[in-house]
Amino acid sequence: MSAITERGAVPGHFAEPTLGTKLRRLIANPWGHPRGLVIITWLYVVISIVPVVVAIQFSFNAGRSVTAWQGFDLTKWYFGDPAYSVWADPRLQHAFWQSMKLAGLDMVIATPLGVMLAIGLARWRGALANASNFIMLFPLVTPELMMGVSLFLVFLYIFKFIQPGTTAQVLGHVTFSLSYVVVIVRGRLFSIGKSYEEAAADLGATPWESLRLVLLPLLLPAVFSSLMMVFAISIDDFVISQWLSCGSACDTVPIRVYSSTRGAPLPSVNALAALMVYMTLSAIGIAWLVMRFSNRGERKAEGARGGMVQTMGGFDM
Amino acid sequence: MSGGEIELINLNKLFGPMRAVDNISLHIPGGEFFSMLGSSGCGKTTTLRMIAGFEQPSSGHIVLDGVDMTETPPHKRHVNTVFQNYALFPHLNVFDNVAFGLRRQRETPDNVNRRVGEALELVQLTGFEKRKPSQMSGGQQQRVALARALVLKPAVLLLDEPLGALDARLRKQLQVELKTLQQQVGITFVYVTHDQEEALTMSDRIAVMSNGRIEQVAPPEEIYEAPATVFVADFLGVSNLMDAVASGADNVGRCKVKVGSFEFYAGRGSADISGSTKVTIRPERVRLEAKGTSGENRIPGVVQRWVYLGNAVQLIIGLATGAKIQALVQNTGEEIPYDEGSDVTVHLPATALRVLTDTGVPLASAAN
Amino acid sequence: MYPRWLWPAFAVPGVLWLILLFLVPFYAVIGVAFGGVDPIFMNAVPNWSPTDWQFDSIVTTLKGFLPGNQYWSVMIRTTVYVAIALAGSLLLGYPVAYYISRHAKKTKGILLALVVLPFWVSYMMRMLAWVNLFSPNGFINKFLVWSHIMTTPPDWLNGNPGSVVLGLIYGYIPYLILPLLAALDRIDRSVLEAARDLGASPASAFYHVTLPLSKPGILGASVIIALPMFGDYYTPNIVSGSPKTSMLGNQIDIFFHGGPQPSVGAALTLILSMFLAVLMAYYMVTIAKAQKELQA
Repeated sequence: MSAITERGAVPGHFAEPTLGTKLRRLIANPWGHPRGLVIITWLYVVISIVPVVVAIQFSFNAGRSVTAWQGFDLTKWYFGDPAYSVWADPRLQHAFWQSMKLAGLDMVIATPLGVMLAIGLARWRGALANASNFIMLFPLVTPELMMGVSLFLVFLYIFKFIQPGTTAQVLGHVTFSLSYVVVIVRGRLFSIGKSYEEAAADLGATPWESLRLVLLPLLLPAVFSSLMMVFAISIDDFVISQWLSCGSACDTVPIRVYSSTRGAPLPSVNALAALMVYMTLSAIGIAWLVMRFSNRGERKAEGARGGMVQTMGGFDM
Repeated sequence: MSGGEIELINLNKLFGPMRAVDNISLHIPGGEFFSMLGSSGCGKTTTLRMIAGFEQPSSGHIVLDGVDMTETPPHKRHVNTVFQNYALFPHLNVFDNVAFGLRRQRETPDNVNRRVGEALELVQLTGFEKRKPSQMSGGQQQRVALARALVLKPAVLLLDEPLGALDARLRKQLQVELKTLQQQVGITFVYVTHDQEEALTMSDRIAVMSNGRIEQVAPPEEIYEAPATVFVADFLGVSNLMDAVASGADNVGRCKVKVGSFEFYAGRGSADISGSTKVTIRPERVRLEAKGTSGENRIPGVVQRWVYLGNAVQLIIGLATGAKIQALVQNTGEEIPYDEGSDVTVHLPATALRVLTDTGVPLASAAN
Repeated sequence: MYPRWLWPAFAVPGVLWLILLFLVPFYAVIGVAFGGVDPIFMNAVPNWSPTDWQFDSIVTTLKGFLPGNQYWSVMIRTTVYVAIALAGSLLLGYPVAYYISRHAKKTKGILLALVVLPFWVSYMMRMLAWVNLFSPNGFINKFLVWSHIMTTPPDWLNGNPGSVVLGLIYGYIPYLILPLLAALDRIDRSVLEAARDLGASPASAFYHVTLPLSKPGILGASVIIALPMFGDYYTPNIVSGSPKTSMLGNQIDIFFHGGPQPSVGAALTLILSMFLAVLMAYYMVTIAKAQKELQA
């Protein structure tokens, strides 16, 4: 453990610091001493992950309790139990498919729309372009409650031909997903730059050919990541889905889980939530791999971690 | 293949209030290796991009082989570009990169194969067809970029500082290769660089640019030996510029100047001027003589610094006028009898001393 | 190279979508908030034209925020919860972000993955996990009894404000750590080394260099989680379920779903957005600035 910048290197001085020295250092700067930080960090990691692991573990509980472990049963709550498993319980199963439906439609609509929006905004100049950029950024900073209320009211009083229900939910999902797609694709657009398309035009490609043969192939990794991102945020959405819901027929997994937590929940709820976790993590994992794999050839950027941190941190700053 | 003759007529480019290219007119005959030289921001790259078609001139015309192509989009112009960062398509291998332009022209697959092979042979990269750009070194990528552009047999090849990203040794090697290539293929090269040595080595003619304007267009020797303006003198090599006051010509056609309180005769540049001006002399023409030597164009000085360059010795000398000049003495194996601190007499031979006009505007003649 | 109209053409569909389904709905909120109430059916009758706007509903609602009135306590409570949750998240989150970005060397990759993980686990799942642990027969209570720390552990999930605050922290802290990490990562290491080189002790270097340089990051990350926290209604519902701990979001929720008074709900939403407008503007400016930097 070398933290040389904080402690200062004294060449040749390898004697173990005495207990007194260690204590003095710890008191002098509890935030700065690496050992304290290590403890806090790993403590945080444990606290934040262990509950989820436990919840997932209980989805494999042989008994009906979510607090008392009664043995391991792999499939009981997923599809084994004939009455209460996710597969068997109609409300749970329906919630699963509803979530999948919304996510699928969201992916299919928001991604192309968002990619086009990203390309357009990246290269359009002028006052209208700035205003459009502003409009695009707005959903990212808006608390979901406000979006939920406003969408609820708009379908009640203005776009009355759309009732609360799946259609309304899809429309709401796409609306908040668009901005995420734009941020992802725009980042990729900036790193691509315009030199490749200029080279294509220089070599005789028409504008259309430049887009099709050069820009689009280079954007593909970002498009794919956007798809996975939209999937993940759509599946996890609670507020918008709830406000635009038509009742239990429109319940998504987060809504189901929400309704069940205060009752006497069965491990089947854990199983349902766990399914979502598996799918989201897979989607994000694939997206990460694709980004990593495709970027490897192109530029000597920082490691994939740096890229990932900046990409996700990039939603905010 | 036709001439590759380019004419730029009163070209202007404004970015908002900023005038990047200021009324440039140039004529480049076919087959010439023409360089545009200047520091960043001088407008050379913008001019190149206008010829390529990536920037629209604010006013002016670009004519290629008699055809005005100012309004033509880049993909229809018969010029090709080698970009500074090569811009090789990362998702295509070398073959597909080089074949790209041919395929846009709807060439038959057989022809494509043949011509790509020829182009790769020209740049000595046969066998690299399946490689991806990321698997190649900078020098190799640059050659692929060349092949990709040359395979289309353009009338003119535009090169935007293509050697900038390479290390010094590779750069020198490629400079020679590029020059040979150009002579071999015979098309016009328009080459942009900020490296004066590069421009001097490779070009048939150089346009020195500054602030969007052309300071001088001439072959390399003329640019170096007979710089027309202060900027050009200063940009290429060491110029040893000194303020002087001119007072007309003497009876053998040299200009009489006074540097400080010392009288000099400048044998180069316009003799017929008066008023304040500048004189310049190249370091390798400065002669050092023993202290107290008398004669024309001589001035006392003190050696202030002594820098050993290997093939020569560079001496910084403080003149009696207060100015500092640089002298370059070739390493002939003989010892140089002056040390740091020595008093010397500095001889600026009239045949080497040049009177300069400031920024290309000749001064009032002595007759006025 | 490309025709001028191409880029706007690309952008228009998306912008149109956002106008119709994001901006227009906001106008719906305004219309309802400044609208009237049908006396018979007690639903809202929105007023679309600014000339028809009625301000009594919003004035009455605003008055409700004055000390002693019905929204005063909710507002205070919400602000207190958010403030404490924010402080708690920063106290726990900053050292973690700091450690990972500046100190972790071999473990940086693993830690990063582990810290990113909860970000992708559904909020509901994390709340479910939390509730399971803190339920009367859950692990926490069992542990407290077993270790003799308490004999009758409190009912965590019934109207316990502490649970709400802890729930908020647990729920939102991943959204704080990530941007904070990104911001800290961007601080140039050599600046810190220069401080040490010039004679600053570790504590001094941290206080005089690292901390000030991380201020924008802290501010930004705080705004990122404070905004949704102010609108949160589901966390108190899951973790407490009692009106004793209800937040502003709960009030709005009630006015739309409980005994519907949409115009009051709309008015409350409007007021909340005014309140949050400064935060939202700050957030937007920072993103826009960061995008400009990317472009340059």
